[in-house]
Amino acid sequence: MSSQWNVYESFQALLQAGPYHLALEGVLVMCIIWLFTAKKQPSKLIRLTKKEEEELIAEWMPEPLVPNPPKEDHPALHTRTIYGKPGRYLDLGTGEKLLNLGTHSYLNLGERPEVEEAALECLHKYGVGSCGPRGFYGTTEVHLKLEDRLAVFFNCEKAVLYSYGFSTSASAIPAYSKSGDVIYADEMVNFALQRGLQASRSRIVYFRHNDVEHLRELLEEQSRLDKKDPKKANATRKFMVVESIYINTGMMCPLPELVKLRQKYKLRLFIDESVTFGTLGPNCRGITDHYNIPMKEVDMIMANLESSAASSGGFCVGTEFVIEHQRLSGLGYCFSASLPPMLAAASIKVLDILESEGCELVVVLQDKCRQIQEVLSKLSSKLEVSGEDISPVKHLRLRESTGDREADENILRKIVEKAESHGLALTLASYLWEKEASPPLPSIRITVNKDLTTEEIQKVGEAIQKAVMEVME
Amino acid sequence: MLSGGHGEVNPNSSWHSSRGAWLSYLAGVLALHLFLLSIPLISIPTAWTLTNVIHNLANYLFLHQIKGTPWQLLDQGKSRLMTAWEQIDYGQQFTTTRKFITIIPIVLFLLTSFYTKYEFNHFAINFATLLLVLIPKLPQFHMVRLFGINKY
Repeated sequence: MSSQWNVYESFQALLQAGPYHLALEGVLVMCIIWLFTAKKQPSKLIRLTKKEEEELIAEWMPEPLVPNPPKEDHPALHTRTIYGKPGRYLDLGTGEKLLNLGTHSYLNLGERPEVEEAALECLHKYGVGSCGPRGFYGTTEVHLKLEDRLAVFFNCEKAVLYSYGFSTSASAIPAYSKSGDVIYADEMVNFALQRGLQASRSRIVYFRHNDVEHLRELLEEQSRLDKKDPKKANATRKFMVVESIYINTGMMCPLPELVKLRQKYKLRLFIDESVTFGTLGPNCRGITDHYNIPMKEVDMIMANLESSAASSGGFCVGTEFVIEHQRLSGLGYCFSASLPPMLAAASIKVLDILESEGCELVVVLQDKCRQIQEVLSKLSSKLEVSGEDISPVKHLRLRESTGDREADENILRKIVEKAESHGLALTLASYLWEKEASPPLPSIRITVNKDLTTEEIQKVGEAIQKAVMEVME
Repeated sequence: MLSGGHGEVNPNSSWHSSRGAWLSYLAGVLALHLFLLSIPLISIPTAWTLTNVIHNLANYLFLHQIKGTPWQLLDQGKSRLMTAWEQIDYGQQFTTTRKFITIIPIVLFLLTSFYTKYEFNHFAINFATLLLVLIPKLPQFHMVRLFGINKY
């Protein structure tokens, strides 16, 4: 029971307390005094004396604005100009129009008048730009409609729209994966994905291109480590990032096996469908459609609208829980002006087309892809073609490399130039070689256009053959 | 929820420094003590020890146990493995806030010792919980996880 408090008794107790106790209290009081007098630890700023400053200024040698400028004949200094719309034919201002195998308009929807009309109609209503990010007066009903339509098209709960294809995957990945997490990625993922992986600050584990066994080994190794330290494993999220068709190789990912690994090792699976959106599967929905894998087996699909969709921007689709997270955490979504409404309107029209006639378009395109594959594989003993036969992106590589990347590139570049004189617009796949995680071999990147005729495909084969003969023999 | 508008990368680094936070802290400890005193079955020494123990446990839980932030930050998970104490002033040591938060449990211990008349049982409990909150506050223990306790 609480009794009356007696101050006198308390002080008596203080006096009777043992010397050890008093010493301890003394130490604690000293602690307080020490804390009061302790100086704030200097922040990491370095302060220089006047003399040091002057020395540093005197030592400083300004670097040239462009370090190591390339030689005058560097191809990047001589860019080409395309006049008019890049469609089945390209006008490079050389007089003759060239057959286009360089730009990513697989379905050639950019040449469809109804897409252009839809864009123009929206242009008259909203003007050119939206003048703001999505969260800041940049959202129009066209954006919302496009997001709804994309979600319906992919049979998903939600979609989120980005204004630039590159920033889609570069923003979406770091929105989820953070420092301390692990991402398993194919070594051939495209540069935008690599940037996203890098920005996530997670531990990135690259597995060999399309090598499921290698991935399984890595995951098995990780699960052994996880068993040793379950607490750490609980705090670590694991992701898998792949492309449906790798734009750098033209190969398709073995999705059914990846989905099994996802279930077994509890990974979050992100797929970049930039090449396959509109070009794969019976309903042209991409790789999940092709392998008939339900959407719930994939956590998120990212794609750009700049290839088949003949527009600009990109999008992610998935469950509402996953996608809505990006509206505040996707940096490219938050801090970029939204997609110009007219481009969103064009994309809606593209979705109309894909929904109504997509099944036929895919069949036609894949037939053309196979034809081109056949023509290219029989070309010459000097070149080999890589890529799936139904892939709209193919790479022509030297069968025997000279051993030097630049020399290889120069040979291929000459082939491209010669092909131009035979009426063919090709392009050399260009990379930031120093920044690529595992640089692909130099190649001529061939893209297939659905509207190519059989005669034109024959012409492609002949023209490249002639160019190769002129350059290499 | 994004933490925006106040220019702070991590709001957990600064809100402890506001005078309002200090006042609320002191008021909270006082309110807890008065509440315990008002319970008839609890004697005055027990009320002090309970105040001290509850304070120290709460202090340990919120400053040294829970990691990360209630906000979603744009730091790509840098603070995911940091306790609230480690986030204060972005890890700078001996700042005023850190001193204040360190001194409170010491003063509370001294007061409790006085009001429990230096009885050994009270002392043992109070001193043990004091060490629980003082040791992780030492600058030498910044980002150190003894025996891997509370590492992830």
